[in-house]
Amino acid sequence: MKPKVAIFDLTDCEGCEVQVVNSKFIDRVLGGVELLHFRLGQRVNRWDNFDVAFVEGAVITTHELELVHNIRKHSNIVVALGSCACFGGIAAINNFMDIKEAKKYVYGDNADKIETLYIKPLPEIIKVDFMIRGCPIVPEDFERVVSDIFAGRTPREHTRPVCMDCKSKGNPCQLLKGIVCAGPVSYGGCGAPCPSAGMPCDGCRGPLEDPQMNAELELLKKIASRDDIIRLFRKFAPMAPIFKEVGGGKL
Amino acid sequence: MIYDEFVTQIEGHGKIHFDIRDGKVVEVRVEIQEGSRLFESFLRGRRAEEVPQMSSRICGVCPVPHNLAAVQALENAMGIEVSEQIKMLRELAIASQIVHSHALHLYVLAAADYLNVSGISEVYAKFPEAVKRCIRIRAVGNRGVEVVGGRAVHPINSIPGGFAKLPTRLEMEKLAKDFRSIINDCIETFNMFASLKYPRFERATEYLAIDDGKHFPAYSGRLVTNRGLKFEAREYRNYIKEFFKPYSNTKFCVMNGHGFHVGAIARVNIFKDRLNPIASDLLKNSPIRFPSDNPFHNNLAQALEMVHYTEEAIRISEELAVKLKDEERPKQTKAGTGVGVVEAPRGTLIHEYTVDENGIVRGANLIIPTGMNTTNIEEDLYAILTENIKKPKDELKKLAELLFRAYDPCLSCSTH
Repeated sequence: MKPKVAIFDLTDCEGCEVQVVNSKFIDRVLGGVELLHFRLGQRVNRWDNFDVAFVEGAVITTHELELVHNIRKHSNIVVALGSCACFGGIAAINNFMDIKEAKKYVYGDNADKIETLYIKPLPEIIKVDFMIRGCPIVPEDFERVVSDIFAGRTPREHTRPVCMDCKSKGNPCQLLKGIVCAGPVSYGGCGAPCPSAGMPCDGCRGPLEDPQMNAELELLKKIASRDDIIRLFRKFAPMAPIFKEVGGGKL
Repeated sequence: MIYDEFVTQIEGHGKIHFDIRDGKVVEVRVEIQEGSRLFESFLRGRRAEEVPQMSSRICGVCPVPHNLAAVQALENAMGIEVSEQIKMLRELAIASQIVHSHALHLYVLAAADYLNVSGISEVYAKFPEAVKRCIRIRAVGNRGVEVVGGRAVHPINSIPGGFAKLPTRLEMEKLAKDFRSIINDCIETFNMFASLKYPRFERATEYLAIDDGKHFPAYSGRLVTNRGLKFEAREYRNYIKEFFKPYSNTKFCVMNGHGFHVGAIARVNIFKDRLNPIASDLLKNSPIRFPSDNPFHNNLAQALEMVHYTEEAIRISEELAVKLKDEERPKQTKAGTGVGVVEAPRGTLIHEYTVDENGIVRGANLIIPTGMNTTNIEEDLYAILTENIKKPKDELKKLAELLFRAYDPCLSCSTH
C-alpha cells in the first residue's frame, strides 16, 4: 500500500512548499505516495490517518492552533517544514514587540479586529517527530528526510556549524571582515548560500546542538553594537532555543 | 447559500462567500483569512541592508519583486543612484521570477481547472509531458534568480546600491543558453493555453501597470492605466486608497473610488505593442485578442508573458555576458522617505520606507498586487454570478473559484 501523505500550510510565505515543488518530489515521490491533503496543489483533499504529515508555517490564529492538534491526532509522523514551523519564523519577531502597537501601526482603528497570537514554534504545541530547518528549506534536506522516513530509517541530524559549509565553499570569513555573522553557532548542511553570496549567515536554520554561544557573543561584542547582535538573532529563527534569549536582549 | 471552505490551489488562505436571495446576488465577499504577520511594523528598527532580504519573506512564490521593490524604495529614501548594469541585473531577476512563477500557476494551480482533473497528482498521471515542461521551465527560471540573487527562493545578495556579489560574465553566458533551451517549452505553453476554452464573461475594467517609457513593464517606471491615468510612484497615496473590511485581514484597494486590475492581463492589455518579437508574433496569430476584458484571459496573458520574459532574459544575459564589470557600491547620501514600484508576477507592487540618517528603517507601507485586485475580484464575482444566476449552485461555486484562481491571487502576500 502506498504511504498516505499530507502537506499542510499555516501562516507563512509558502516558500518551503515551493522548495518541495523545486525538489524531486513531483518527479520521483508523487507517483509512489497517496497525497491525501495538499491544498496548494489539489482541489480534492480529505482527512484520514496520515502516515506522514508535513506542516509548514507558524501558528498565528486560533484556527491554526486547533488545526495542528487535529493534524497530530491524525498522523503517525509529523514533520515540521521550515523555520516558521520549527522556530516561529520571521513573524515571531512580533513576540518581542508591543503587539497592540504593532497592530495599530498596520491596521489603525481596526487593530482590535485582527488576531495575531504570540507565536510558538510547533514543537512547543505538539510533538514533532522531525524538523526540516531553514528559511527556506533546501530541497536536498527534504529529499533526504523523505527517503529516510519512507525507508523506515531515522533521519540523521546535521552536527556541524554553517562555518564548515562556508569553508568548503572557499569563502573568506565574514566575521574576520568585521561583519556580524551567526555561522559559528548555526545548524549547518545548507551549503552556506549566504556567505557564498557575499552576505553573513543569519542563522535561519536555528542553532546547532550545543552551540558555543558565549564564544560567539564575545567575538561579536568586539565588532558590533548590542542592537546589531539582537537584530541578528531576532530574525528568521527567533524562537529557537538560545537564539530566543540573545534576541530577547540577554547578552 | 454559503461556500465556506478555503479555496484550493491558490497561495494562501481565503474563502469566497456569496448570498443569493430571490434570484438575486445580494452579497459577495472575498474573505481573506491568512494570519497577519505585521511586516510593516516589525521592519521598523531594522538596518536598510537587511530589509530587502526580510521583505522577500512576504512571499516564497514571488520573493524577487518584494526584494527589489524594497531595494528601489530604500535607494530612493537614502539618495542612492545605481548604474545601468545593476538595473539590467534587476530586470533579469524580475524576468526569471515571472517565468517560473507563471509556470507554477499555470501548470500546478490553474491547469486542473481547464483540463478537468483534480490536482497536481492527476495532472502528472495524465499529462506527464506538460508537467515535465513545467519542471524544465521552472528550473531555468529558478536558475536565473539564483545567478543574480544568490538563491532561488529568497534572494540573498540584492541590497541598496546593488549586489553584495556580482555574477560573472561566464555565468551570464550559461544563463543565456539555459533560457534559449526553454523558449520552445514556453511557446508550447502558450499554444496549450491558447487552445483552452475559457468561460465567456466580460466587464469593462481599468488596468494598471508601470511604464518606463520604453520596455514592457518590469523593474521601474511611473504608473499608467488603459484609461489614460498617469502618476508618479511617490504620488500613489493620492490615487490608490487602502481600506479595511471586517471579513478580511487583507486591506482592500480602490483607485479613484473603484476597483482596478493589475497583473499579466493588465500589462498585456496596455503594453502589447512592446512585447518581444516571438511573443508579439504569437499574439498576432492567437485566437484570443488583447486588449481583453475577460479576466479568465489573464491565464493566457501569463503564458504569453512567459515567452516575452524568456526572450527578455536571453537579451539581457547575452548583453551582460560581454559587458558586465566590477563596480563600487554607492552609499547612503541622505535620510528620508522613498517609494519603489516593480512588476510582480501578479501585478504592480509598491513598497515605501522611511530611513533615518543611520540607515535604520523607521516606517514602512506595502501595497500588494492581490490587495489592489480585491475590489475588482468582488465586482467581477458579482457580475459573473448575476449573469449565470439560473445555473445550479454547484456550478456557481465552481465558476466563482475558477474566476478567483484566474487572478492568481496570493493571499500570503496580500495580508503580509
